[in-house]
Amino acid sequence: MIQHFPVLSVMVLFFSAFLIEIVGKKEILRNVIAFLAVTASLVMLACLIPSVMIDGQVISYWMGGWAPESGYAIGIGYEVDSLSLLFALLGITAYWLSCVYSFGYMKGKQNLGHYYTLFLMLAGASVGFFLTGDIFNMFIMMEIVTFSAVALTAANTDKLTAIEGAFKYLVNCSIGSSMMLAGIALLYMNCHTLNLAQLSAILPGSFNSTTLLAFALILTGFCVESAMIPFHPSFVDAHTVAPSSVSMILSGMVLKLGVYGIIRLSYIIFRVIDTSAIQVMLTLIGTVTMFIGVTMALAQHDFKRLLAFHSVSQLGYIIAAAGLCTTLGLNASLYHAVNHTLFKGLLFLCAGAVIHSTGTSDLDSLGGLSKRMPKTCICFVIGAFSISGLPPFNGFVSKWMIYQAVYEKAMQTGNFFYVVVTVTALVVSVMTLASFVKVLHSVFFGQLRKEHEDVKEVSPIMLIPMGIMSFLCIFTGIFYREFDRVFINSAVTSAFDNIDYVDGMMGDGYSVTYGLAGLTGGNLEFSYWNPYVWLSLFLMVFAAAVLVTLIMGRTTGRTLESGEDYDSAYGTGDLSVDFRGQTHESGDPEEKYAVFFSGEKAEYSHAGGSDLFWGFKYNWHRYYEVLQGLHSGSVNDYSIYAVIMISMLCIFMYIFMR
Amino acid sequence: MILGNYIVSVFLIVLGLWTLCTQKNLIKVVLGLGIIDYGVNLLIVSAGFNEGGTAPIYNLAELARREAVFFVDPVPQALTLTSIVIGACVDAMALSIVIMIKKRYGTVDADEVRRLRG
Amino acid sequence: MLILRYLFYVLIFPGALFTVLVGWLLAGLDRKVIARMQRRIGPPVLQPVYDFFKLVGKENIIPAQANRTAYKMAPFISFVSLSVIMLFIPIFGFTAVNGVADLIVILYLITIPGVALIVGGSSSGSPYGAVGISREMVTMMSYELPFVLALLAVAKKAGGDVLVFNLTDIGEWQVMNGCMAFHWSMIPAALAFLLVIPAEVGTQPFDVAEAETEICEGPLCEYSGAPLAVFKLSTHMKMCVMSALFTALFFGGIRTGYVVTDVILFLAICVLVTLVCITTVHAVTARLRIQHLFKFYWKYVSVLALISLALVWLGA
Repeated sequence: MIQHFPVLSVMVLFFSAFLIEIVGKKEILRNVIAFLAVTASLVMLACLIPSVMIDGQVISYWMGGWAPESGYAIGIGYEVDSLSLLFALLGITAYWLSCVYSFGYMKGKQNLGHYYTLFLMLAGASVGFFLTGDIFNMFIMMEIVTFSAVALTAANTDKLTAIEGAFKYLVNCSIGSSMMLAGIALLYMNCHTLNLAQLSAILPGSFNSTTLLAFALILTGFCVESAMIPFHPSFVDAHTVAPSSVSMILSGMVLKLGVYGIIRLSYIIFRVIDTSAIQVMLTLIGTVTMFIGVTMALAQHDFKRLLAFHSVSQLGYIIAAAGLCTTLGLNASLYHAVNHTLFKGLLFLCAGAVIHSTGTSDLDSLGGLSKRMPKTCICFVIGAFSISGLPPFNGFVSKWMIYQAVYEKAMQTGNFFYVVVTVTALVVSVMTLASFVKVLHSVFFGQLRKEHEDVKEVSPIMLIPMGIMSFLCIFTGIFYREFDRVFINSAVTSAFDNIDYVDGMMGDGYSVTYGLAGLTGGNLEFSYWNPYVWLSLFLMVFAAAVLVTLIMGRTTGRTLESGEDYDSAYGTGDLSVDFRGQTHESGDPEEKYAVFFSGEKAEYSHAGGSDLFWGFKYNWHRYYEVLQGLHSGSVNDYSIYAVIMISMLCIFMYIFMR
Repeated sequence: MILGNYIVSVFLIVLGLWTLCTQKNLIKVVLGLGIIDYGVNLLIVSAGFNEGGTAPIYNLAELARREAVFFVDPVPQALTLTSIVIGACVDAMALSIVIMIKKRYGTVDADEVRRLRG
Repeated sequence: MLILRYLFYVLIFPGALFTVLVGWLLAGLDRKVIARMQRRIGPPVLQPVYDFFKLVGKENIIPAQANRTAYKMAPFISFVSLSVIMLFIPIFGFTAVNGVADLIVILYLITIPGVALIVGGSSSGSPYGAVGISREMVTMMSYELPFVLALLAVAKKAGGDVLVFNLTDIGEWQVMNGCMAFHWSMIPAALAFLLVIPAEVGTQPFDVAEAETEICEGPLCEYSGAPLAVFKLSTHMKMCVMSALFTALFFGGIRTGYVVTDVILFLAICVLVTLVCITTVHAVTARLRIQHLFKFYWKYVSVLALISLALVWLGA
């Protein structure tokens, strides 16, 4: 029974996609079908956890029963090991949350039948991408993902520029997938098979120029999919203009397709990750990506565009850590991949809530929303602190592992390059914090704008997914030892030891004939937090809370109560004019409760977001001129970068891997 | 002859990439995407070609008589068909998006269609 | 019993109470000595204590535009995180919580007070607060690079070929091989670290975020009464934490065998560090502008730390 679950979990999504197209006009029926489909898929994948994650089984499934014939895989197979299952579970969790959020967020929009059809196709294709055991099937799933993502982006009627972002996304992804298809053709030419397990038995150790070129081309495809530099600008554009429920998926989930692809390709199929040239290359790409992503994010003044650049930056962390080829490095990378989906999804949902309530995502025209949308504000703070890696949130744990892994690598190899990576990663982290301080200040804190006086908190159906994600952010931050043991460690093991993967698909003993042996990545040792530290930390926080209630409860002066309106508290005063005494008789008590303007006339004086860090930008203005010029927005320029990167990858392979 | 196929397919891929990089007209950009696809398709079909091979269609009697020894690999042809379908869909979708761009922006020049930048 | 022991660690020594007392001592000495340097008599050494209790008794005003929860919580988060950091810093032979005293953990915990200050200033809704938090954030970005470089240099020096981020292990290494500060290749890193301390604590000439004369103490502009007292207190605690961290990293090799003498010696070095890098620098310089501060740290201080790191990697 259980071996049918992988394929069923994909089928149910695709089937419901077309079912929704039939009943598209009826809102409740449509929502129920969509919800049931993602729930069913989630439950089926969760049922696989005990046997795959804990027992370490590999579940294989041949479509139509076409089992391998005399050592050649002739059918299309599904194969689930811990690595696939980790990503698939992550994916379907994100889709489930996004689906629930969509019920509230997309309510009242037009053509929602098509929205849910495309949404479920996107979900089915991503899950299928992770679970499939056939490289051409991977390509097809990638194309379906691109398709549905482009259509969902272009269909955003709120943004005029949505269509432009969708076009660039389509062009960029098409370049990537064409290169990948060319690579697949070259692979087939050499190995006469498309099955991942068989490829990973044949390929390691038997390189020639054709397979090297194939590796470079397929790697290009996955680099495009994971928005590595210089393929990132069109992704950022698309994430900016898509509906927030879709942005969350595109940014948090779809980029993981590329991460999974790179790990699968370099660790399992080609096993080239144990050569130092590939390690340096992947880490270098990751490091440059994280730096450029975060510096560009600092210069943004659109909420979602800033978040999209941060996705690029965090993906840089993931790829840099995955390129280390140590157990700790891959562990950190996968943990960060999970965390990135959680906190970036949360942040995009918060951005969606802000847009839903105020109708704008421009940081310069927002402010003071924490009084009107307190729950969204709390969720955003949790997400922002997670992504900046403040303890005890989850981003801290994975970043901490990444630094340890990179510096350990530096010490083992004596390569100064990895020291540079460590320093960059640490500095990027504080820049991440800076740009989220900017968002926090210019959206949620500061002064409320007059036109946002009557903004309301979003509906509970949108708050529930945000709450779940916030909870998961804290949960994976505090109980990471348990989480790491159950989910991540088994995935790391399966990535390093591909004998089970090959044997599970092609029959026992198949790998022996090719003389396969597992990679060695060192043992997984890193210092965990002591649980007593948490105990003491909680005690301290408790003590602080007691202090707050003791000291702040006893205010000698009168302060406005939280629910109390300013006018009703003091009777007089026109809030919309100003807070200072100018409109009131002198001696009014409220003068004390206005913010301090050093004797000047009070005006609306919220410091906008885009120029908050000018002291930093002043020193970097040349860098920013060049970089912002390079993100020119022209689809031709982006294609030129892509071509340069493709040729660089191919040349690199021929120079260092021959 | 098969070498010619490879040369032409690489030429087509390069031509397509060149089109993407240099042509400002968005419709030409879409055509560039199409050309890359055709180049890749040609590459796949050539990968499965055997000089002098027959079509891979046999009945059981022929298989039993071991006549089915030398044929053209059918898998790349199946791949090519799939890839052609996908390519056609990409082109259709891209062109429909270009129509929308023309409606909203009033132009199909890549230098004008860049409101998302920086 | 274990819980009681940890409770003692957290609340009394080396946690909250100890940090507060040392912080007051350092702040008082700082004010006294700087006054003597400027030929003034100066306040009594206990002045920070008097200030604290005076402020606690004052009226507490919350601006109508502020986000009350964040505004009220910010100073206490700052206070809590500073007390927690002290648990992880070994005092010569003595470490309250062993096995987690990791350089990276400390690096991140030290940013929390800064973030709390930013959240507090931002939630007050004041334009001065807005200017102040932007400067505070840029200051954080500025000193982060030399700070990281100095920490990595120490880690490499103590580790050799294996990864050593643990502060206790670094202390043990210093017992075996002599204090970090006595290795000539580490002297630039120690200097860089000394220059980071005033920016982290926020004293002149790196007090751009709280510049009283131009932006009315920036993030603290709207604060009054008890929350202001706690914020001032956490500034003093920062002095204690940063000088303790410096001592643990660069003078960690001293062992007398008794906790009491250890602590007294530790205090003496902390006072010395504070007097050198906070008081003296304060007395002889004027406030920088924010863009100059950024340039100073990324250009000069980072180069100092980088020299150390390179020397260590070259095997010196």
